[in-house]
Amino acid sequence: MPEKDIKAPAVPPTAGPSLFGLLGSYKGWVALLVVLALLSNLIALVMPLLISRGIDAFGTGAFNLRLTVIEFTAAAAAVLVFTYLLSLVQVYVSELVARDLRSELAAAVSRQSYAFVQRTGSSLLLTNLTSDIDAVKMFVSQAISTVVSSISVIVGSAILLRLIDAPLALVVLLIVPAIGAVLFFIFRQMRVLFKKTQEVIDWLNKVINESILGAALIRVIDSRSLEEKKFHEANSRATSVALQLLGLFSVLIPVVWLISGLATIAILLLGGHFVIEGSMTIGDFSAFNTYLGMLIFPMFMLSFISNVTARSSASYKRITDVLGAEPEPEGGTLKATLRGDVELKNVSMSFGEKDVLKDVSFSVPAGSRTAIIGPTGAGKSQLLYLLTALTRPSKGEIRFDGRPIAEYDPVSLHAQVAFVFQDSVVFNMTIRENIAFSPDATDESLQKAIRTAELQDFIASLPEGLDTVVSERGGNVSGGQKQRIMLARALALNPKVLLLDDFTARVDAQTEQKILANVAREYPGLALISVTQKIASVESYDQIVLLMEGEVLAIGTHTHLMETSPEYVQIADSQRSTVTYE
Amino acid sequence: MNNYNLSTSAGQTKPMAALKKLLPYLSEERSKLLGALAAMVVNSGLNLITPLIVGWTVDTAVTSGDFGLVLRNAGILLACYLLAFVASYAQTVAMGNVGQRVLFKLRSSVFTKIQSLPVAFFNQNKAGDLISRINNDTDKLNQFFSQSLMQFAANIFMIIGAGIFLLVIHPRLGAATLAPAVFLLVFTQFVSAWIRRKNLQNLQATGGLSAEVQESLDNFKVIVAFNRRDYFRERFRQENQKNFKAAISAGVASGTLTPLYGFCASMAQLVVLAYGILLIAQGDFTVGLLISFLFYVSRFYDPLRQMAMLWANFQLAMAGWDRISAILLLESDMPTVPVETSRNEALMEFDKVGFRYPGGKEVLRSASFTLEPGKTYALVGPTGGGKTTTASLMARLFDPTSGTVYLGGRDIRSYSAPERAKKIGFILQEPFLFTGTVRDNILYGNEAYAGYSAAGLGAALEKTNLGALLSRFDGGLDTPVRAGADGLSLGQRQLIAFMRAVLRDPELLILDEATANIDTVTEQLLEDILKRLPAHTTRVIIAHRLNTIESADEIFFVNGGEITPAGSMEHAVDMLLHGHRQS
Repeated sequence: MPEKDIKAPAVPPTAGPSLFGLLGSYKGWVALLVVLALLSNLIALVMPLLISRGIDAFGTGAFNLRLTVIEFTAAAAAVLVFTYLLSLVQVYVSELVARDLRSELAAAVSRQSYAFVQRTGSSLLLTNLTSDIDAVKMFVSQAISTVVSSISVIVGSAILLRLIDAPLALVVLLIVPAIGAVLFFIFRQMRVLFKKTQEVIDWLNKVINESILGAALIRVIDSRSLEEKKFHEANSRATSVALQLLGLFSVLIPVVWLISGLATIAILLLGGHFVIEGSMTIGDFSAFNTYLGMLIFPMFMLSFISNVTARSSASYKRITDVLGAEPEPEGGTLKATLRGDVELKNVSMSFGEKDVLKDVSFSVPAGSRTAIIGPTGAGKSQLLYLLTALTRPSKGEIRFDGRPIAEYDPVSLHAQVAFVFQDSVVFNMTIRENIAFSPDATDESLQKAIRTAELQDFIASLPEGLDTVVSERGGNVSGGQKQRIMLARALALNPKVLLLDDFTARVDAQTEQKILANVAREYPGLALISVTQKIASVESYDQIVLLMEGEVLAIGTHTHLMETSPEYVQIADSQRSTVTYE
Repeated sequence: MNNYNLSTSAGQTKPMAALKKLLPYLSEERSKLLGALAAMVVNSGLNLITPLIVGWTVDTAVTSGDFGLVLRNAGILLACYLLAFVASYAQTVAMGNVGQRVLFKLRSSVFTKIQSLPVAFFNQNKAGDLISRINNDTDKLNQFFSQSLMQFAANIFMIIGAGIFLLVIHPRLGAATLAPAVFLLVFTQFVSAWIRRKNLQNLQATGGLSAEVQESLDNFKVIVAFNRRDYFRERFRQENQKNFKAAISAGVASGTLTPLYGFCASMAQLVVLAYGILLIAQGDFTVGLLISFLFYVSRFYDPLRQMAMLWANFQLAMAGWDRISAILLLESDMPTVPVETSRNEALMEFDKVGFRYPGGKEVLRSASFTLEPGKTYALVGPTGGGKTTTASLMARLFDPTSGTVYLGGRDIRSYSAPERAKKIGFILQEPFLFTGTVRDNILYGNEAYAGYSAAGLGAALEKTNLGALLSRFDGGLDTPVRAGADGLSLGQRQLIAFMRAVLRDPELLILDEATANIDTVTEQLLEDILKRLPAHTTRVIIAHRLNTIESADEIFFVNGGEITPAGSMEHAVDMLLHGHRQS
């Protein structure tokens, strides 16, 4: 039987070329891996030959104990050294590939736009960076050496068997395609189930994640039994898929053993016949049995590896999807120092089919103060995202100092246009690092920002002052304090334009007034655009933009709007009672 | 309050001790296990007998040239193989079933345990790490149970059986053959603690990496807006490098055993060959038995070598199990206490309540106040003054460190969780939504509306005046809610949380800055809804906007560990403006 046929089932059918392409940069290591795998397996192949020679030599009285012991021990020691080296190289190369791929992926993600990360979702990217990379790692560490080892053992023992006795070898080698066919068939069915398994695991994970992130709510409502029911459903499904997979597994191993048992019988009958006839030695007979045993393990391994390869290919494809994702369109190159004139011209924006902003136009002169007011879901925050180039308008144009936002170098723009986000984002590092987060912040600007945000007392009350580490999710800082840290972070840039997104919602009125007065005093020249709910705090602003359902309903000063905009008056009325106090 | 921090309490249990903790999960499977065991004995026995038949055939039939005997023995062999086929199938099915059911129970008990733990547990642990523990570590166990366990059990049988055969056929030769295995056993004992430690460190590094990625991705907009893409890369680089080093150490440790096992198997073969031939020369042994013996050597050492690989898997699974059982060992420190006699008619009373977070400063010193049914209360005070903590104590998210909270005249701790949840509604500062639709979220955990049709629910919403709020959502009740940040604004999420709480019709409704990001026109709607709540509903409102609190019957000023009645709105404002601040 030609060797080509033997290999047929051995080549993993689904190995994507891309996965092998990945190895291109590690040619030297991969070559070392192949050489070590070949060496250790080929030497291991010779060892049964040494034993059979010993048995036969004993039969003819020519047995040399010393020589056999030395040869055999040398071979065994060589195998030991090479397999150990192989395992070290396997670990090193696979971890190296994983580390580099992770870095590459993280770098690619870090270069992406905010819109991309939001669209893709952080949980998917987390999967990419962890379990998908693990699957690729598995491929590098297991697949290469296993394929090389298995094929060399199969081919090697086939050749040796034929050298010993050609006709008997042909009979024995029939089991290779037979086992190959069984494995191919079963593993093809398994792959479908593997996909199902992944889906059901994702579902299970979603239930678990939500039960952890929503822990407080679940305890308030006492919906634990509901969560347990959800979990039970997913868990039961996971178990039933696993049992289906088990059904296939339970057939696989017995069938392979049965086939190999049949081959043993064939050897016994035919080999016995040949030995009785005198055309075969007892030693060769024993070698035959040994090689038969050696053939089966690699067949198993190849089937397992074809699965690993299929899984890894799918994972690698998900990774390359992210790596190959259209990077954020190159920003402009303009690095001018801004004066702070902002202008929106017929700006529209949509999320899928939903229009978030429709034909919005207004301008904010440098040093002036503008408030944006409107109901929940009016698109106010989206407007601010557009002004920081975090997202892009689908129509219209945004200009800074008369030049389109796209012309500006994003780094230079972000250093001058500061954004205080609505939700509190604090990092698990010191307060100093949290505030001086931008590379453009200096010691001086940090201190000024802390004073302006009225954080000095709070910081002084901390045991380690500015160097106190904020715990994950900001557990040791209150909502209002987080908000003020966020403000200080923005002010530490010495920005020309400051965007506040509902800053006042979590800060009490007294502090808010103090802070805003500080800002006006310490940062003269600053163009302020503030999304807010409170008319009282923006009455004195240069202009107020009333936004509803993504459209500008009215623009003007407080007095002007009170005279001309019924919607504005309605909002003002709803808040009037507070005016007396603030 | 208990220390629920898993990273400080993570111990290193030996795998066998860890395995012992698994035993209770296996006890119900005893009959299945016995069946699997029987099948395994039959299968392994047959696998062990067949080489003997081959060797015997060589010795008697082949060497004497009796082909008829060869044929007869081949027939016996065929019968053995067929029987082994059946037994091995039965064994795999039985063991696999046991494994999957145990895993099912294990996952359930972790989940149930997590559900039984108080909010403090979630505050003290990183969400990323918890998720990694439950998802990845149970998956490690899963891989072990679904793939390795059967081989593990079958291999042990094979090893024991082959060992017995080796010793029975020829005790002295057998003992010599098993000597390398004894060395292996001792060596494995010696290094396995090291391997386990390295693997545990690797798991920890992986958890750290996940947590880092999670944080950076969740805060990506800040990273972009403040030109700190390098921050993400740098933080990631550090964690990645840490992970790389830990993984290599773990890999090197795990990889030491397999080559050595192969070497010892070869040495055993050499012993058989050299010593066996010597014995044959002395007439104490036969060539056929030598061939059988070589067979048994591989039947003994091959599974042993596989065991070395499986052992690594096993250790990994046990390291994962260790991290999981750290959760299972935690006990909630918020039990339900026996009912005492009623104190008074007040809906809620704080009696000298003090509270501090573990290792943190005192939030409440000795706060006492009373809430009457049907009234509206406002909590005001500077940020960080303790308002949210007070609200959390009212909903028993925490227990006070001193003093007692009374609900309806009874110690709040004497209520069962469902009773308490029915009485108290708490709209949290950070609204949390589940994947699904707006409808799913506002009806979440609400059995009263479980069977309602779309029209019925619409009518119910109109009745509670919540209907108007739905216009804030493009798709009404069917607006999809997806995980993480998506089309819904913070204000919209707060609206959903508001509707969810009001629909439950609680006796005490707590709003913790629950409308902070909702525009004032909508807020007016919410206020109308609050005003029209049933007469017995008591409201506790935490807010910064004064108009949301001016309708309060009583205002409490919360600051510096004290909760003091402000008397009038003017006085409250005065305290806010001029009172000493401590934030």
